Amino acid sequence: MTGAPLPLASQPSGMRAWLLSPEPHSRWQARLGRFYLGWRAFSRNPLAVIGLGIVLLLILVAIFADVIAPYSPVAGGDLRTQRLLPPSETYWFGTDDQARDIFSRVIHGSRITLFVVVLVALIATPIGLLVGTVSGYLGGWVDTVLMRITDIFLAFPRLILALAFVAALGPGIENAIIAIAITSWPPYARIARAETLMIRNSDFIAAVKLQGASTPRIILGHVVPLCLSSLIVRVTLDMAGIILTAAGLGFLGLGAQPPMPEWGAMVATGRNYLIDQWWVAAMPGIAIFVVSLGFNLLGDGLRDVLDPKAAK
Amino acid sequence: MLDIQNLQVVYGTGRMRVDAVKNVSFHVEPGAAYGLVGESGSGKSTVLRAICGLAPITSGRVSVDGAAVTTPRSKAFYRTVQMVFQDPYASLHPRHTVDRTLSEPLAIHGEKDAEARILQALKEVGLGPSFRFRYPHQLSGGQRQRIAIARALILRPKVLLLDEPTSALDASVQAEILNLLNDLRRRLGLTYILVSHDLAVVAHLCERLLVMQHGEAVEETTADALRSGAASNTYTQSLIQASQGFTRVAPQTARAPAA
Amino acid sequence: MTKPLLDVEDLRVRFHLRTGTVEAVRGVSFQLGRERLGIVGESGSGKSQTGRAILGLTPPPGEVTAKRLAFDGIDLQTVSKRTLRDLRGGRISMVMQDPKYSLNPVMTIGEQIIEAYRAHRKASKAEARDKALAMLEAVKMRDPGRVFSLYPHEVSGGMGQRAMIAMMLVTDPDLLIADEPTSALDVTVSMEVLRILDELVSERGMGLIFISHDLKLVSSFCDRVLVMYAGRVVEELEAKNLREAKHPYTQGLMRCLPTLADDVRPLPTLNRDPAWAL
Repeated sequence: MTGAPLPLASQPSGMRAWLLSPEPHSRWQARLGRFYLGWRAFSRNPLAVIGLGIVLLLILVAIFADVIAPYSPVAGGDLRTQRLLPPSETYWFGTDDQARDIFSRVIHGSRITLFVVVLVALIATPIGLLVGTVSGYLGGWVDTVLMRITDIFLAFPRLILALAFVAALGPGIENAIIAIAITSWPPYARIARAETLMIRNSDFIAAVKLQGASTPRIILGHVVPLCLSSLIVRVTLDMAGIILTAAGLGFLGLGAQPPMPEWGAMVATGRNYLIDQWWVAAMPGIAIFVVSLGFNLLGDGLRDVLDPKAAK
Repeated sequence: MLDIQNLQVVYGTGRMRVDAVKNVSFHVEPGAAYGLVGESGSGKSTVLRAICGLAPITSGRVSVDGAAVTTPRSKAFYRTVQMVFQDPYASLHPRHTVDRTLSEPLAIHGEKDAEARILQALKEVGLGPSFRFRYPHQLSGGQRQRIAIARALILRPKVLLLDEPTSALDASVQAEILNLLNDLRRRLGLTYILVSHDLAVVAHLCERLLVMQHGEAVEETTADALRSGAASNTYTQSLIQASQGFTRVAPQTARAPAA
Repeated sequence: MTKPLLDVEDLRVRFHLRTGTVEAVRGVSFQLGRERLGIVGESGSGKSQTGRAILGLTPPPGEVTAKRLAFDGIDLQTVSKRTLRDLRGGRISMVMQDPKYSLNPVMTIGEQIIEAYRAHRKASKAEARDKALAMLEAVKMRDPGRVFSLYPHEVSGGMGQRAMIAMMLVTDPDLLIADEPTSALDVTVSMEVLRILDELVSERGMGLIFISHDLKLVSSFCDRVLVMYAGRVVEELEAKNLREAKHPYTQGLMRCLPTLADDVRPLPTLNRDPAWAL
């Protein structure tokens, strides 16, 4: 009952006024208005905007890799004269032991990285969300069974479990993605369950129950949307770890197979020349670092907007 | 319309056993408004929640429109009985627009012409079409409670369960909501069960009421008896006394603070 | 003329938010002697922010300004943080709405009262203990010794609020600010709590600021009432003259409540005149 402050009148104009209208005229205007408010809060954080920029850059580079890359990422040049050249005007990031242009390989590697990131997010998030919300909402033995399964997955270090899966499924980028996805959903399930436990006893869930809504309808239409934002934040923050795990698997030779320009695998080859030809390992390493940082900054910014509770 | 016989609600077992409602019976005629009054822990809200299935019925009989309710409640039950909650800030989904909130019950029950019925429901609770696409955070407390009432009425129920519908609102807004509820009852021929700690609110809205304490029915009386001070029970008397305000100075007709 | 206990002139509380500056309290002035003053208003009227600003408890990013804000001749605006801390809890105390959130859940009630006492008065443990027990008795706890060693979650809301009052009054403050002290309590319990508060305040000759949304409760309890609307005091009147309220807002607030005494249908509602907020 403390004094909720009175807003002073301020009149925005044009597009902004339409977006910020207290009386939206359509579903879309309401939704866009919300989105705009979120964007305004997000864009006030310069680091978050940098993070978003890095992630957008990654996407653009992945889309236009063929146009940007000056050379083929797979076929090398003359092994006698163009092997392990230092960075120069012709080869911006230098060349590797197969006389391939490292810049072109890094550019094309962004596709693999993006592929991994998107697929893991698409597989792990829904699994975690569904397991968590169902477990939290239904409670009882369903909760016990699902959470014990989650605990089993949580008990293993992620890389070790991924290694075991890849060893069983065979090396390759697809299997690496499946392995990472399988090992990354349990924390999401935990988060979704914790949120659901808070939501399920609220009046608005009771109200929709009293309208005769079925359990799947309540979970999907009313519980999931509220869990989603904190999960998106967590997934974004996890992206750096996922990229590192994928690179780690590549480094160990269990992820992307040669000659695919996967950044982790590239670092692995560069290891042999680390002292004399530092750029072979450093260039893909920097790429991993920058993209991971980008996702972390973006995640922090999203958390401030989507999940104000956790921000402080 | 509604008949409660020897209702008992028990949570937990053994040492954790809590008898929330002990052997409560009452009967409400169609079109009547019936009040349940008591302080926190009296079990008044639990009775309401047991009727609509949010609390278990340990023993006893709850019948609506002559038929005993089933557990879980049928879809037909939810078309007959709807509820309005105490806190309008908690009873609306924070990410759903008014439009989504009102169309949900229609979608669940496969109703047609959602468009017209949403506009109609908004009109009934005194809000214009401009409110349709707002989010709850763009509404005041009173407006939210109006939306909650519109949501409860959109399926055209016969019985409305009101759980402290005005105790979270400012006094001036409370008056508006009480007027709206009186008006809707008259126009739509609704039956109300009102739970409140505020005797004046109950007397304003209901003809008959049940005073509860520690899960038991203390006394069934009428609003008129309450007004004339003819309550026989000492607990009811003490409630009336307390609702008159602080009594150092000459007692005036004061309202008790909202719980 | 005696110096007032509290002198507030042109108190303003501003919040600088992303969306612009919001003024929650807009030029409130009043003087308080050793009396019971009620501040009444609906949610958003700035009544709570007024109480907090006096104690320097305005939450960030709030900014408090005033032409004068003096307690017993001490300027609360220029005083050092240390002195302010000493005043707060020592000579000025505050009782909040919900004891559940104002009591420390991991300390017994007795320990908390002792701590409150020893933070402001030099006393041995034994003295403080006696004082705490006496205080628990003063707030009409049936078994002070038992309540002393209970944790906050082990007592009911009414007992918790009485413990809170005991803790706030143990230092014999000169001024007590009570923000909706009984709103979270049942009616019968809240009357009991108010009676205790009333006794203690008049016995000790304290000044009391009683903040509430309930006009009639406040007017039955206090000597003088300030009615706030949109951050301003729209009317100030003697509690006993409430029926002669001039301002349409005060009149509307009184009329819109249903009463047991007479049955008005429909209830008169309040038509908010934008001019009131000017």
